[in-house]
Amino acid sequence: MTALLRVQDLKKYFPVGKDLLGRPTQVVQAVDGVSFSVEKGRTLGIVGESGCGKSTTARLLMHLIEPDEGRISIRGKEFGNISGRHPVAELRRQMQMVFQDSYASLNPRLTIEDSIAFGPQIHGVSEREARQQARDLLEKVGLNPNVFVRRYPHELSGGQRQRVNIARALAIKPEIVLLDEAVSALDKSVQAQVLNLLSDLKKEFGLTYLFISHDLNVVQYISDDVMVMYLGQVVESGPVEKLYQNPAHPYTRALLSSVPSQTPHERKQHKVLEGDPPNPIAPPSGCRFHPRCEHARAICSSQQPKTTKVDGLHQAACFMLPANPSHEKYIQLQEVSA
Amino acid sequence: MSADKLIDVRNLNVTFKGEEGPVYAVSDVSFDLAAGETLALLGESGCGKSVTMKSLMRLHPAHKTRIEGQINIDGVDLLSMRPAALSAMRGKTVSMVFQEPMLAFDPVYTVGDQIIESVMRHEGFSRADARKRALEMLERVRIPSAAKRLDAYPHEMSGGMRQRAMIALALACKPKILLADEPTTALDATVQIQVLLLLKELQRELGMSMIFVTHDVGVAIEVADRTAVMYAGRIIEEGPVDDVLSNPWHPYTQGLLGATVHPGMDRKEALSAIPGSPPQLTRQITECAFAPRCSYRTDECLKPMPAAYQADSRAVRCIHALAEV
Repeated sequence: MTALLRVQDLKKYFPVGKDLLGRPTQVVQAVDGVSFSVEKGRTLGIVGESGCGKSTTARLLMHLIEPDEGRISIRGKEFGNISGRHPVAELRRQMQMVFQDSYASLNPRLTIEDSIAFGPQIHGVSEREARQQARDLLEKVGLNPNVFVRRYPHELSGGQRQRVNIARALAIKPEIVLLDEAVSALDKSVQAQVLNLLSDLKKEFGLTYLFISHDLNVVQYISDDVMVMYLGQVVESGPVEKLYQNPAHPYTRALLSSVPSQTPHERKQHKVLEGDPPNPIAPPSGCRFHPRCEHARAICSSQQPKTTKVDGLHQAACFMLPANPSHEKYIQLQEVSA
Repeated sequence: MSADKLIDVRNLNVTFKGEEGPVYAVSDVSFDLAAGETLALLGESGCGKSVTMKSLMRLHPAHKTRIEGQINIDGVDLLSMRPAALSAMRGKTVSMVFQEPMLAFDPVYTVGDQIIESVMRHEGFSRADARKRALEMLERVRIPSAAKRLDAYPHEMSGGMRQRAMIALALACKPKILLADEPTTALDATVQIQVLLLLKELQRELGMSMIFVTHDVGVAIEVADRTAVMYAGRIIEEGPVDDVLSNPWHPYTQGLLGATVHPGMDRKEALSAIPGSPPQLTRQITECAFAPRCSYRTDECLKPMPAAYQADSRAVRCIHALAEV
């Protein structure tokens, strides 16, 4: 099966600080060589802690910020602001985004109807048609159009506003929706409503989701595949059951172990990582996780591990995986030095 | 009131004078806290959990707030305390940590200076002794190269480290009670668990009592002995955390747990969301505030809410829950 969305070697370095001549003194390696693909109708969950580059990845995909390097293609068509690539406007017709802050992402001076009908008009739909569509979409996201079309964002609750944002994202009939912490700011009782809505809409419109979240339980529930990021790089990816039941990368194991149990009788012993995630301005050499890793050996600080197959589509970037070609070499080295 | 209660709150009402009329933030809240015990106030935004907490330090602006009821802390009537006595109590008997450490620290003083000031004020230490205590506290909350960090400004620390520094500040005068208002909500998962385990450890060492405000069921399970679930300004269910969260009596608690994603749940099944949203608190609600969203609702529910029903060290405010118990 061919992938609907394919991302290859995406990179973005942000300059920080300036010297006398205005040249940047340092760079933040926000996204450093991220590759993945998503098949139609599936949901890819992207998890990681703040600063790991998950939101930057989403913004690069939408070209809200320009990638330094990398290829983004949908159905084999490559998009970008470079000659020879398809225009970004066309990319955005096929991919839309919902943000965490439901209030900041709506224009406070536009009614709900105007907000939803705005995008399609930009993309060439007549005003009358766009307005009719906006009403239909409001119905689909569970808001009565007769009550809500004339309202302004400040008159809505957080959950209602996020429904409006979802309706707006769907208004230009995209195939892919990027959900960047889209339910994270909502209270649990409302979050459940929106998660159910997302599942229903996915079925009805045959959507493909990229679901970015720091909430590991929600990601497990909603995703088919999961990708774990650490300091701008993908450390592990694979089908959700395999990754959650048999995490291969030490960081994934620590991350999953740090989630408090949701049921009193399943309280667990936590495997606690020391320290905070390091500064992405000066990431550690070799494997970026090695200073916090209990398995780290000499090779981990000198070389970057390549992504290695764990089992089927499940893969991880760690020298200590038995399947990693360096593993044998490492074991031998250990034996020699011992 | 029994003598072993460090905190005893009876019929607390907190009303804010808003520009568009009063807001009834906390209604008829009663609870207590024993020495060495941890209570989790659990609820969603706007349920009154933080307002209740701030009332225990009298942090609400006096001219905009009406507080009624009784709050006894370590045997002293908090609501009749004079300002000087209040200042002496804050940080010494009761201390507080917040969600956003950047707001709790003064950005123009070093972290060390702020801890030193508090220790000199409450313990009567000399500056040199206070500095020793401050360093000891930073080491105790496991801040790496603590001696160097003593002279760091809050903005020079990472989020997790700032949160530890705030805990060091709050515990520097060895308070009897620590109030923690969502102290780990803004932290990443791997840092959150470090801070939760640290707080539990410090509590044991110092023999403190804690009240922990959280919206996260998992955090309540991790830290608390007892939990009080709040909805629309009231405590609607209370009891040992294991009992309440494995066998909830109140329909709201049941709904909250049903709406929370559990690891390993069937991904094809829809979540049991609670319909609607919490009520506005601009009206004094005398009936059950959850009734409009409740699937057990009957006409009885629209009458003034009954007092809490108590059984097996648990309490619940719902006439339908009573029938089942």
